[in-house]
Amino acid sequence: MPEKMIEVIDLHKSFGNQEILKGIDLNVRKGEKVVIIGPSGSGKSTLLRCLNYLEVPTSGAIKIEGKSFLDEQGKYHEKRVAELRTEIGMVFQSFNLFPMMTAIENVMAAQIKIRKKTKEDARKTAELYLDKVGLADRMNHYPSQLSGGQQQRVAIARALAMRPKMMLFDEATSALDPELVGDVLQVIRQLADEGMTMVLVTHEMRFAEEVGDRIIFMDRGVIVEEGSPEDIFVHPQHNRTKTFIQRVLHPESLEGVQ
Amino acid sequence: MNILNNLDFGTAIHQLTPQLLQGLVIALEATIFGFLLALVLGVLIAVGRLSGRKFLNGVLVVFLEMIRGTPLLVQLVYMFYVVPLLISLVFQFFIPDYQFRMNPLLSGVLGLGINYGCYMSEVVRSSIVTIHKGQTEAALALGYTHRQTMWSIIIPQATRNSIPVFGNYLIMMIKDTSLLAFITVNELLLRTQAYASQTFLTIESYTLLAVAYLILSLPLSQVVRLLEKRLRKHA
Ligand SMILES: Nc1ncnc2c1ncn2[C@@H]1O[C@H](COP(=O)(O)OP(=O)(O)O)[C@@H](O)[C@H]1O
Ligand SMILES: [Mg+2]
Repeated sequence: MPEKMIEVIDLHKSFGNQEILKGIDLNVRKGEKVVIIGPSGSGKSTLLRCLNYLEVPTSGAIKIEGKSFLDEQGKYHEKRVAELRTEIGMVFQSFNLFPMMTAIENVMAAQIKIRKKTKEDARKTAELYLDKVGLADRMNHYPSQLSGGQQQRVAIARALAMRPKMMLFDEATSALDPELVGDVLQVIRQLADEGMTMVLVTHEMRFAEEVGDRIIFMDRGVIVEEGSPEDIFVHPQHNRTKTFIQRVLHPESLEGVQ
Repeated sequence: MNILNNLDFGTAIHQLTPQLLQGLVIALEATIFGFLLALVLGVLIAVGRLSGRKFLNGVLVVFLEMIRGTPLLVQLVYMFYVVPLLISLVFQFFIPDYQFRMNPLLSGVLGLGINYGCYMSEVVRSSIVTIHKGQTEAALALGYTHRQTMWSIIIPQATRNSIPVFGNYLIMMIKDTSLLAFITVNELLLRTQAYASQTFLTIESYTLLAVAYLILSLPLSQVVRLLEKRLRKHA
């Protein structure tokens, strides 16, 4: 059996007295592509952000390759958390490039500061990944000089340059103009083909169907249903899943109803 | 009409200009070191106040209120006349008759640096809190600790965004070095006063002094405006 890269056990997360995640169990195997779909506000981002401890779970456990973010006594140590995070690349909806650095400097910064690589070494790796995302000719541009799609590809290169063992994508294309979505999806698709372990939150259902090994449908803080793309998109079992799939895949069919 | 007939700008320019230039060197020295100190203090105070440590924040707030609630001139005089006495007092517990002395220029640099540092810390602080939290999250996700994020991602952006405001503070500080005359720093004002009282060329001397400050600050204001424009382009 392939090894578990991510293990989530009975995860609960509350903000104040509002419980957003109500007991999530999830395993992601090496090389698996898991796509999380669901209505907005259902807790998809919160779940993803718990996976690298940007949100600290209220209860439950997260393990990355069997390693917990907390120490043996259940204590939080920033160093330990930061170290585990280097194994997990994350791509945000809003890109979050560092605005005072050029594209290549964005990709080099953490390699030098966190991975302690030499400048030359970091530059080589950065060039490799910027080339991979199709931005070899934009290396010395500042984020403000790049389109949204280009910025997002730099952000992906920045994450990859840390050579993470898995990648998290939180609606990586939702902030983009429609004509720029394709280039970014192409980069993610290629990464998927190369066997990267990935957890993606997306509204691009065709893309989810295409790259996902497993689709997870979340609603109101729980996993309602999970299965192969065919299970979820063609033969959904639960009513909530059916309604959601119906609404996002065939919005026109609901117009008469509403 | 007597005053008009006796005007002698020629002599004043000839004799006072070299004096003003020498004074200028001292004023610039005070500004450069004072401003560097202000910059360091400004960032440190801002970070201290945002560290989440209640006690530290409280101490800093009291200090800020003390500085902002008293005139700069009073602070300079205090730094020059009182602080050395206080230091002597402490040292005399260990070394009897110890007299601590402070160079006037050093007092001036400390006084200006502390005063401006307090005001500039507010600029840095508000700049830090307006930086999108996405920046912090991106850095944390890459494996930065909070401290590393603050110093290598947030502070550089916050100081960069503050450059135009800092530029205006720099120009203000150059002009405020004239206050150092009151603590015997031999800068432009003190030299002009001496010259005017020797020669009775009062109008000429002080007009030249005013012109000298204008020549200094007008081009600098332009530079600051240019910087502001360039920074806005890359925001
Ligand atoms: N930091 C936070 N503080 C308070 N509430 C939050 C916070 N983050 C998310 N929430 C709330 O949690 C719910 C789920 O949010 P999110 O995980 O972003 O949903 P999704 O990504 O599925 O749209 C929302 O109601 C949101 O308002
Ligand atoms: Mg979301």
